[in-house]
Amino acid sequence: MAKVSFHHNDGNVDVLDVDPGTSLMRAAVTNGVAGIVGECGGQAMCATCHVYVRPEYLDGLPEISEDEEEMLECTADPRDEDRSRLGCQIKAGEGLDEIEVDVPASQI
Amino acid sequence: MTAEAIAARPVPTADWVTIEDLYRNPFPIYRKMRSEAPVHWVPAVNRYMVTSYQACHTVENNQEIFSADETNSLMKRAMGHSMLRKDDPEHDVDRKSYGSVLRPKAIKEHWNAIFQANHETYLARLKSAGPGADLIWEYAAPYAAENLRLVMGFHNATQEDMQRWSQTMINGTGNYADNPDVWAASEKSYNEVDDAIDEILPYLRKNPDSSLLSGMTSMPIPLEAIRANMKMTIGGGLNEPRDVLGVAVWALLSHPDQLAQVLADPALYPTVFEESVRWVAPIGMYPRETTRDTVLEGVQLPKGARLGVVVGAANRDPEVFEDPESFNINRPKKPHLAFGGGNHYCAGAWVAKASVSGIALPQLFAELPNLRLDPERPAVDAGWVFRGMTALPVRWDAK
Repeated sequence: MAKVSFHHNDGNVDVLDVDPGTSLMRAAVTNGVAGIVGECGGQAMCATCHVYVRPEYLDGLPEISEDEEEMLECTADPRDEDRSRLGCQIKAGEGLDEIEVDVPASQI
Repeated sequence: MTAEAIAARPVPTADWVTIEDLYRNPFPIYRKMRSEAPVHWVPAVNRYMVTSYQACHTVENNQEIFSADETNSLMKRAMGHSMLRKDDPEHDVDRKSYGSVLRPKAIKEHWNAIFQANHETYLARLKSAGPGADLIWEYAAPYAAENLRLVMGFHNATQEDMQRWSQTMINGTGNYADNPDVWAASEKSYNEVDDAIDEILPYLRKNPDSSLLSGMTSMPIPLEAIRANMKMTIGGGLNEPRDVLGVAVWALLSHPDQLAQVLADPALYPTVFEESVRWVAPIGMYPRETTRDTVLEGVQLPKGARLGVVVGAANRDPEVFEDPESFNINRPKKPHLAFGGGNHYCAGAWVAKASVSGIALPQLFAELPNLRLDPERPAVDAGWVFRGMTALPVRWDAK
């Protein structure tokens, strides 16, 4: 299992143990994590699974694809050039046994 | 039986629901149904209608249990087997064939200029029709149709063709009464669209552009899938932007305080768009079919159950939206289900937002001073599977 932590603005943290290969968006939506919407089901068509990845985990991430890049320009909360990613494009357990992200205040 | 199934309750029947009442105004019916149970068997509709937000959300995020590939689908008959009636992985192959045509970068680089030109054409048509003109039929419908024609690449058709194809095939998808005249009109359009595609593909191979059909020429996708997906896109890409545009104008003209707020701050038009599709979802219901016995929000459903996912009802669920029956651009932002969710999330969502809230709404209100409802002829909103304005006579002052 891989460990995913979603840090919320109010200080609460949702810590999930998920099957490796599960996207952060899917893990959040399946487990009812607040603040992650995932409207488009993981096609990088919306920008409602925006997360800020904590710096210590950035090196293990896959490259940002053209589609993800386009959507990161459409996020409701401001994009952070280093830390912003779409949760649907990051899979837990693939080079990352553990990952921690901050959930933006707004997705829509 | 699982513990979940034992604890579940049987599906209640809503035998008091009629198609006529739904068509006129479905919202009081949805309110009553939602307060009783998240799912009902509705004999008049011959479906299980899913009306709570949570139940609709669950259905659209689980294609293993709630399949889009419906048995005896009228949509398959009217339009062919499009991606909208496929599950992944088959759906995903078709979906990828749309490439980046409908995405924000292409909209910025290609489509916004075309939408702007079309807006100017049909605004001129509305103005020449003069005060008292119907905003739907003089502006919103041809504007949406011409935008879609060019996005799809039907250079051998007219916006009037697009409107006729869209409406007749949509009527086919809803032809539960099996009316032969409806099928005849639908089949005529089906054949006309196939002919238009066959004619335009060789042209687009030689003269590629930014359109959907042009993109198809270089995709490994069978002609049958292209034909079905194009028909689905004609049905799903014209009436919907037309209807959200009509509902948004009607809502603002009926709520003077909110109109004043928007006129003072045009940055609010995207919010107007989102609230309009929440309030009246242009596609109010779409089908799914259960692949096994299951329990949905505590209600038992048998295998093979034909569901109607009523996002038009989910979007007014008081569990999620405060004072849900009111149009209110100042409500707290919450995700609505008007574009569907999960893998079938509307592919045209960005195009609709750009053409309606980026161009049409701000410019209509800027170009037509004191735009208002015609006091002599009332606006008419109608429909439930598809809902929008069927008449929207408006007046304005000379500039």
